[in-house]
Amino acid sequence: MKEDYKIERVKERINYIEDVLASVAAGDIDARINSEVEDDLSGIEAAIDLLIDDLTDELKQRKKMQKEVEEKLAKIQEQQKTIFQQQSDLLELSSPVSKVWDNVLILPVIGTLDSQRTQIMMENLLEKIVETGCTISILDITGVPTVDTQVANHLLKTVTAARLLGTECIISGISPAIAQTIVHLGIDLSSINTKATLQDAMIYAMKQNQLSENVKLHSLFADSDENEE
Amino acid sequence: MLQLTTDSNWTELGKYIIKTEHDIVQVRQLIRVHAKEMNMGIIDQTRVTTAVSELLRNMYNYGGGGEVLVETGVVDDKNALIITCADEGSGIEDLDLAMSDGYTSGMGMGYGLPGAKRLVDRFEIKSEKNIGTTVRVMKWR
Ligand SMILES: Nc1ncnc2c1ncn2[C@@H]1O[C@H](COP(=O)(O)OP(=O)(O)OP(=O)(O)O)[C@@H](O)[C@H]1O
Ligand SMILES: [Mg+2]
Repeated sequence: MKEDYKIERVKERINYIEDVLASVAAGDIDARINSEVEDDLSGIEAAIDLLIDDLTDELKQRKKMQKEVEEKLAKIQEQQKTIFQQQSDLLELSSPVSKVWDNVLILPVIGTLDSQRTQIMMENLLEKIVETGCTISILDITGVPTVDTQVANHLLKTVTAARLLGTECIISGISPAIAQTIVHLGIDLSSINTKATLQDAMIYAMKQNQLSENVKLHSLFADSDENEE
Repeated sequence: MLQLTTDSNWTELGKYIIKTEHDIVQVRQLIRVHAKEMNMGIIDQTRVTTAVSELLRNMYNYGGGGEVLVETGVVDDKNALIITCADEGSGIEDLDLAMSDGYTSGMGMGYGLPGAKRLVDRFEIKSEKNIGTTVRVMKWR
C-alpha cells in the first residue's frame, strides 16, 4: 500500500516535470519545477531547472542580439536614406551657375554627366541666361572624367538650347586625352566653340565683351554725329 | 555566326553586373583602375574607359542591362586588357548597319559602336536576334 502510494507520487512528479518542459517548449521561459522535497528525484528536478535556466538565458541573449541587429539595420537604412538625399542635393548643388562679370556666365561641371544631372544642369543654365540676359556662357568640363557619345550629345544640346536664347556657349576644359577620344569616337564638335582651358575661355569672353562694347560706343557716336548734322 | 576569341589562360580581374545608370558610372571607373594597374598611360586609359562606357550604355539602353567580365591575358603575343560585355536583350538584326557611323535606332548619335571600335585595338561582336549581344574589346599593353 505504501509502495503504491510512493509510485503514485513519483508518477505525479514526473507528470509535472513533463508539464514544465512542455511549457518551456511552448515559450513560457519562466516555468520551473521548484521541487520542495529532498529525495532521489529532486536532484534530477534541480538539474532540469538549471538546464532551463541556461536555455532561457541563451534565448534572452539571442533575442537581445536580434534586437540589436534590427536596430543597427534600421540605423543603416536611415543613413542610406540620408545619403540618397545628400546625393540628390549634391546633384543640384554641383551645377552652380554664376555670373563672373558683366555678361558672362560660368558653369563648372564636376563629376559624371548622367542624363539626370545634365537635365538639371541645362535647366539651371538656361534659367540663369534668361534671368541675367548674359550673352556669353562658359561650360567648363575640366572635372568630367569621361566624355562618351551620350555626354557629347548632351553638351551639343545644351549649346544649341543656349544659342536659341541668344547666348554663345563656350565649352572649356577639354583635356588632350578627351580631345583625342572625341575625335576617335567620330563626334563632330566643330559647331561648338571650344577652348582648352577655362582661362582661354575667359580671355575669349572678355575680348568678345570689349568688342560688343566698342560696337555699342561706335553706334552711340554715330547716332550723335547724325544728330549734329 | 562569328566566334569570339577566348583563351583559358586569361586571368579574371573582375565581373560586374549592369542594372542601373549608376552601375555604368561605377564599372566605368573600375575599368579605368584596371587600365591604370596595367600601367596604361592616361590616353589609353581614357580610350578604353570611353569605349567600355559606350558598350555599357548600349547594354543598359537596348539590352536591359547585362554582365561585364574584365580579364587580362596574352593575345597575339601582346599583353591585353580584355573586356567582355554580354546582355540578353533583343540583339542586333543588322550588324553592318549598327556598326556604321551615325546609325541609331533611338535618340543617340549613332557613334557608340563604331567609335568604340576605333578606340580599342581589337573589337569583336556577336549578336543574335532575341538571344542577346556580346561585345569583346581588347587594348594592348
Ligand atoms: N546591346 C545591344 N542590344 C541591342 N541593340 C543594340 C545594342 N547595342 C547597339 N544596338 C543597336 O545598334 C545601334 C547603334 O549603336 P550605337 O551605340 O552605335 O549608337 P546609339 O547607341 O544609337 O547612339 P550613341 O551610342 O551614339 O549614343 C543602336 O541604335 C541599337 O539599335
Ligand atoms: Mg550607343
